[in-house]
Amino acid sequence: MRPFLFSKSSAANQALAKKNSTTQYIAGGTNLVDLMKKHIAEPESLVDITSALPAKIEPTAKGIQIGAMVRNTPLANDPTILAKYPLVAKAVLAGASPQIRNMASTGGNLLQRTRCPYFYDVTTPCNKRKPGSGCSAIQGENRMSAIVGYSDQCIAVHPSDLCVALAALDASIKIQDKSGKMQSISFTDFHRLPGTTPERDNNLPANALIHSIEINENAFAKNYAYVKVRDRDSYAFALVSVAAAFNLNGDQIVEARLASGGVAHKPWRWLEAEQYLKGKTANAATFEAAANIAIKDLRPQTHNGFKIPMLKGAIETALQQCLNP
Amino acid sequence: MGFFDEPFDLTTAAEGRVEGIAKVTGGGKYAAEYKVNGLCHAVLVGSTVAAGTILNINTNNAKQVAGVLGIITHLQKPLVPGMANEEKIKEARFGLPIFHTDKIYFKGQPIALVIAETLEDATYAASLVTAEYKEDTKIVDFNGALASVSLTPAGKDRGDIAALNNAAQTIEAEYNIKAEVHNPMEMHATIAEWIADDKLKLFDKNQGVNNVQRTFAKLFNIPVDNIEVISEFVGGGFGSGLRVWPHALACIMAAKLVKRPVKLMLTRPQMFHSVGYRPASWQKIKLGANADGKFVGIHHQAKNGTSFYENFNEGITRVTRLIYHFDNLKAEAATVPLNLSTPTWMRGPGDCTGDFAIESAIDELSYKLNIDPIDLRMKNLALAKHPDSGLPWSTNYINECIEKGAQMINWKDRKATHSQNVNGDWSIGYGMAVGAWNAGRGTASAGIQMQKDGTLTVQTAMTDIGTGTGISMQNIAHESTGISKSKIKIELGNSNLPPAPSQGGSNGLSSIGGAVVAAVAALKLKLAAYAASQNEAYKNATAADILMSDNGISFKTANNQFISFTSLWEKNKLAILEVEASSGPGTERQKYAFCSSAAHFCKVRVNRKTGKVKIERLVTVSDGGKIISEKAAANQMSGAAVGGIGMALMEEQATDERLGTLVGNDFAGYHFPVNADAPIIEVAFINKPDPNINPQGSKGLGEVGIIGTAAAIANAIYNATGKRLRDLPITPDKVLLG
Repeated sequence: MRPFLFSKSSAANQALAKKNSTTQYIAGGTNLVDLMKKHIAEPESLVDITSALPAKIEPTAKGIQIGAMVRNTPLANDPTILAKYPLVAKAVLAGASPQIRNMASTGGNLLQRTRCPYFYDVTTPCNKRKPGSGCSAIQGENRMSAIVGYSDQCIAVHPSDLCVALAALDASIKIQDKSGKMQSISFTDFHRLPGTTPERDNNLPANALIHSIEINENAFAKNYAYVKVRDRDSYAFALVSVAAAFNLNGDQIVEARLASGGVAHKPWRWLEAEQYLKGKTANAATFEAAANIAIKDLRPQTHNGFKIPMLKGAIETALQQCLNP
Repeated sequence: MGFFDEPFDLTTAAEGRVEGIAKVTGGGKYAAEYKVNGLCHAVLVGSTVAAGTILNINTNNAKQVAGVLGIITHLQKPLVPGMANEEKIKEARFGLPIFHTDKIYFKGQPIALVIAETLEDATYAASLVTAEYKEDTKIVDFNGALASVSLTPAGKDRGDIAALNNAAQTIEAEYNIKAEVHNPMEMHATIAEWIADDKLKLFDKNQGVNNVQRTFAKLFNIPVDNIEVISEFVGGGFGSGLRVWPHALACIMAAKLVKRPVKLMLTRPQMFHSVGYRPASWQKIKLGANADGKFVGIHHQAKNGTSFYENFNEGITRVTRLIYHFDNLKAEAATVPLNLSTPTWMRGPGDCTGDFAIESAIDELSYKLNIDPIDLRMKNLALAKHPDSGLPWSTNYINECIEKGAQMINWKDRKATHSQNVNGDWSIGYGMAVGAWNAGRGTASAGIQMQKDGTLTVQTAMTDIGTGTGISMQNIAHESTGISKSKIKIELGNSNLPPAPSQGGSNGLSSIGGAVVAAVAALKLKLAAYAASQNEAYKNATAADILMSDNGISFKTANNQFISFTSLWEKNKLAILEVEASSGPGTERQKYAFCSSAAHFCKVRVNRKTGKVKIERLVTVSDGGKIISEKAAANQMSGAAVGGIGMALMEEQATDERLGTLVGNDFAGYHFPVNADAPIIEVAFINKPDPNINPQGSKGLGEVGIIGTAAAIANAIYNATGKRLRDLPITPDKVLLG
């Protein structure tokens, strides 16, 4: 990798003061170090922010706040998370490997780059890595690529499992800028679709840091599921994944949440299917109908037509599992 | 024969590995871990195009990096006499003429080597080397290029396959397997140090130190004995260490250039194009049987990928001539040149690939005939003699493997019709397949050093690549000397030790076992000669007459009358006793054919909604003759079975034809199984000695553990779902769309 300067900041404003166009922040480094080794990221200086941001999970008036520096493993083991937001823990444990989860931070998880193989191969064109160079995946190996929300510039998918659960739970992201001002962005507005600017993964301003994630109290602690279909059972990214949750009145669904990973440039909510589920009886026929709504307008790539039946099956499986989590 | 005269009771064997503690405590040194004074680091720069000619290489920016000591390219390099010209390059048969050509044959092909004080400096400087190329048309898509080559006969025809037209049932189908990459845990690495102008010392990751020694002696035109190769610990090989690869030569050239010891360790992405792989393959099988299940014949056609600078034929149809009797047989093969690096042997080479097609076809035929797949196989096994050579098998217990495996997995629970065993979204199925391998033996040497206190050091140049060679040598030395295992030390993986063949092709233990037995016999004779000064009776003793134990030596017929080693040493003023002996195959190879075999049984669950396949149980029963070290042998078998799961369900090196590149060439992109993908592998052995193959009666196991595994899994998926999947790997998408 390219030689770089390294410094540590013990406060967010200090870290923000150091930021310029050649600086990058590092927390767990589980993605950034790979990117640096492959010369995809070539920062001149790195600022370690592990002591600059909160690393605690704390109750708030409306729910819970997860500090940006909370690592994946403690997040998945946290008693409050397990009791009140178990979907979060389930999604975290579906991702990466124990070693990576021990290092990776919550904030970093949101900011990880796509795992599209062309993004990682600097000898090939990639609009996300080098705007204007072209997209190799469109005519290439696109088995893992998007089936919805993509553009003719980029068909990459967002790799996170945690983010799928956070999108499903309508979490919000607290962002801190140089002046110390906090701003809140709803989770579903944070990540972007590729459009004509695939190099931008999200709407985090250049002069800001993710401070924490907030999740409001909800009724999804009883009937929830995270189903991830992948080529092997650990340390593999999703072919498709589904976060599902609902609350029941008898056998009637009061409200449902349904989101997917492995299908788009951002965690994808199946809003129409969620709407459909509202008020329906929780049974296999309902679940299949909801799955059919989710898959109706998808446009797969040359090598991933299978994602449509797979997604349908994964949604049905996840909704079914919600009955017996 | 002497060995069988000895008591051989493995129930007393202390299991584990002689090198186990060193391995798990970090005490064992792998090639890249040796501390060498003045060591500097080398990093390879790869071509960014897949085919063409290098027009120029710009190293100016790289040279500016502090700490850079030198840069090698095809334009500026130290002389390698064995590659001085085209003719010599051809003669050397080294493979890629690294830094001795401006031609590019594959993407990633080394075009430069940067040597620097630190790995960080070398890595950074390497990233600054750029080149311009004249690009040529490239081909990396095996399936796309298939039709461009025609098949030629692979061995002699038997009978006439026209007979297949009269078969009661036939199967005609095609099978495709994607390229797989060995990826041993330890990356290939070399530390090279020129001790003198013509004296070289190497710490190197490989499967045979003598092979490395010979290769470089030839290339540098120096005596073999001037090269010392140390490979004491090898973190897996799977065949990738059976050749000497270009990066090792590059490292030696670098050491010559900078006149310092140099370390070169491949990165994981470089491992995908630097040390071989199992090539992509295509096969077509036509198999027919009479209504009673007797095979009528087989037509087996196969093609595999190779490179443009070497021809590698996998020998995919070889196994067609090994397991079953076919009156009518035709085999044809071809290789398909691609702009990729040269493939090589990977665990169960050829046979593993060919066996998948045959065992899948037999399974399919069994449903058509409505005969249990076990019964169908039993009717057709060539149990008496090698079907091709006609020589009687020395031993062949493949039928017993099948019987035992069927019992272990409760084969009777299998439904004869597919899709009959359903539990919610999951369908359950059973499948089986067999595999076999020509069991070989090479000539190997072993030495023993004995001390006054009765301790032995048993030595060989052979490497232990994780197969348990060391513990097996200890077991054999213990059983044939009676000396306690705690008093037997093993030294191996060093070219200064008695020469031995490479660890590969399931030949390791088969070869070295005899050498240890021979060395023990030599030791006994030597001890007897010294004992003769104390007791005349020893004068004409043969090795078979001598009994050894921790108490000393004695005549077998009077085994309480021990002469202690202490008195023997003192009386004869001995310091250390040294013997060396060789042993190898003989006339038994003209009398008998030899094979190892295995039967694999699998129970799977297949999710009909997501296409997910879960292996519930995997049973593998093998005939490896006498099992010398059960734990190490079982470890071999379960490791191979997990490799088989990878082959069946996930391993695939994707390529991009448009860009001429490998896709996903790292551990995130290339999937092999993790623990979560494999159940506890249930391993059993027939454990009957082969009386002819070698003194200890053991046949190699490394290959048969994986030959047939993929077919057993695919056959189980069919039994569960009715989906006959003939293309590997069977990823969830294929299950769903199949």
